[in-house]
Amino acid sequence: MSTLAPERKPETQQDGQFDRRALLVGVGAAAAAAVGVPLLRRAWADKASVFIARNQRYDGPLEQTIRDGLTATGFDHALIRGRKVLLKPNLVEPTKKCPQMTTHPAVVVAVANVFRNFGAEVVVGEGPGHMRDTEMALVESGMQDALDEAGLRFVDLNYSQTGWIKNAGRATVLDGFHFPREVLEADLIVSLPKMKTHHWVGYTGALKNLYGVIPGIKYGWPKNVLHYAGIPQSIYDINATLPKTISVVDGILAMEGDGPIMGSAKPMGLILVGTNNTAVDATLGRIMGFEPSKIEYLNLAGGRLGPIGDGLIGQRGERWRDVENPFTLIDAPQLRGLRRRGVLVT
Amino acid sequence: MRGQWAACRWYLFDDPHERLLVPARLASPACTACDDRTDRMSYLEVVLDRLAASDVCGYQAGAPAATEPTAVAALALLAHGRIERARRLTERLLEMQRKDGSLGIDRVHALPGWPTAWAILAWRAAQSSQGFDPAYVLAYERGRDWLLGVAGDSGDIVQWEGHDVHLRGWPWVVGTHSWVEPTSLALLALRLTGRGDSPRAREATAMLENRLLPDGGCNYGNTIVFGQALRPHLQPTGLALLALGNQADTTDRIGRSAEYLQRELNDRTTTASLSYGLLGLAARGAYPDKANAWLRAAADRTLARDASSYKLGLIALAALGPDCPLVSGNWDAAPTSAVEVGV
Repeated sequence: MSTLAPERKPETQQDGQFDRRALLVGVGAAAAAAVGVPLLRRAWADKASVFIARNQRYDGPLEQTIRDGLTATGFDHALIRGRKVLLKPNLVEPTKKCPQMTTHPAVVVAVANVFRNFGAEVVVGEGPGHMRDTEMALVESGMQDALDEAGLRFVDLNYSQTGWIKNAGRATVLDGFHFPREVLEADLIVSLPKMKTHHWVGYTGALKNLYGVIPGIKYGWPKNVLHYAGIPQSIYDINATLPKTISVVDGILAMEGDGPIMGSAKPMGLILVGTNNTAVDATLGRIMGFEPSKIEYLNLAGGRLGPIGDGLIGQRGERWRDVENPFTLIDAPQLRGLRRRGVLVT
Repeated sequence: MRGQWAACRWYLFDDPHERLLVPARLASPACTACDDRTDRMSYLEVVLDRLAASDVCGYQAGAPAATEPTAVAALALLAHGRIERARRLTERLLEMQRKDGSLGIDRVHALPGWPTAWAILAWRAAQSSQGFDPAYVLAYERGRDWLLGVAGDSGDIVQWEGHDVHLRGWPWVVGTHSWVEPTSLALLALRLTGRGDSPRAREATAMLENRLLPDGGCNYGNTIVFGQALRPHLQPTGLALLALGNQADTTDRIGRSAEYLQRELNDRTTTASLSYGLLGLAARGAYPDKANAWLRAAADRTLARDASSYKLGLIALAALGPDCPLVSGNWDAAPTSAVEVGV
């Protein structure tokens, strides 16, 4: 009764799917040691490139931008034909009064259309972290109308059937995770985060957004089990355990200051696309004025789940230095020293 | 509204539940309350028929049975007098109770145990509506004992500006902090099974009051973080007010929370938030005149979209307003302890 972790419920078939991922991570680390940094650098650069598009608008040609981004970062759409793709937007606590908090429906629909045109079976899923009434989250975010109009199915990940999977990261004490069925069955998960600051960890992007695949019915509202286990550590563990993930970041209307809920709007006009979420988040941080290696969850992920070093990440589209625009932060001890230069406080 | 009901009471409206069963043709054409009742009958009958026909109560149509939707559906059917259809659900809950008295989220997942509070409420209703059945009394007493053995954690949390972290309520998951909704459910279960004056219930009451936002309403359970008051949400506000019942409003925050609900609820409010919000207002004697129309709109949407047993059950409970047993606490005069009846 005193355990922090939900009880272990092994489901061997699903374990099998993800052992491959754990194996790949292990093989990657071993290979790095064997071949040395120069080769690894080239390998990461080939695999982990990030596409940045500027001057983007929610009523603009987003599908074209996203398709270009996927192509530029080496995504092979032929592999996804007939496969299950789960799109995971950020709907943590939507309110019409704060559109900078959550992923805009236009981005979700555009990504869905891209993958539907690739021949994939697309579903949108989210487990809002602060609201049990997911219907409210969908309505307030404008997502319900957009999904209905686009003929897209939504899965409430907070209440979905779950299966247990061994924790492949082991940065926390959690033995494993209960993932929703749609997550376990997905061939590809596309993280669709909002570009925004976070008053505990600095900023969040593709990796932290995947907290939302964790079912509230097992972990609570908020998902307090993960907080107790350590936010950076559990971000790492979840991402180390999930199947293949990529990301498209909604950086058109971003949030600065007291994110991830109460921050101010910061128009950026950006879309980021990448097939390695660690590289995407490192690039995102640089644009926002952070030093990625000072962000604890990125430090854990760096070199294990992907590269965070600037020289290790291939740049496609715009260069991050050309769109860099430091975000303000609240003045809190845990946030001091996360920036590359200077500290802006609200 | 109550005055209007009184004007046509001779039509056999003595039993607040029975009015839902009166054929529409008996309604007085001159009585707006009768129009309202006729309207309520049309959608509530559909809602209750769907609930009664559900063998499996899940969060969505076609989803596997889960504890919370099963208990909510049972409570709704019992509150509307559909006792036989409710019995199979309350018995299913009995089958799901674990040795330690708790119920997990469904048959497969024994943890976390937060839905135990819902089962306690359903069994409490069942032992009143179905005549005394010692199995229900023993079951909810065991559930209550489990509940009383659980408390939110505040061990390593530093005191901060937002709320008093040392006031214990209930967590979603054992070993984590106290939050508004599990605390509200647990407090409601204690209060409606005769333990409203227990030290844990008093502490939970204080904890919920402490989590109300300065301008009214609450969210999942944080109030002020890094100097900013957070935004309220309808569902936890409604549930917290329901759990607090007629608690004296010493800080004005309860009154402001009711005002927040009155401002925000309308015919477009989503089903769960609307239902909990209306129950919270009913608990404060402020059930709105338009509640019926709003619930009908929510029922239409729910039936068209997912026909979730959970949402349909909430609609049926909220439709009873102040007469809902969760609000009135008026199950009947049945004993609230197995000891009292010599079991």
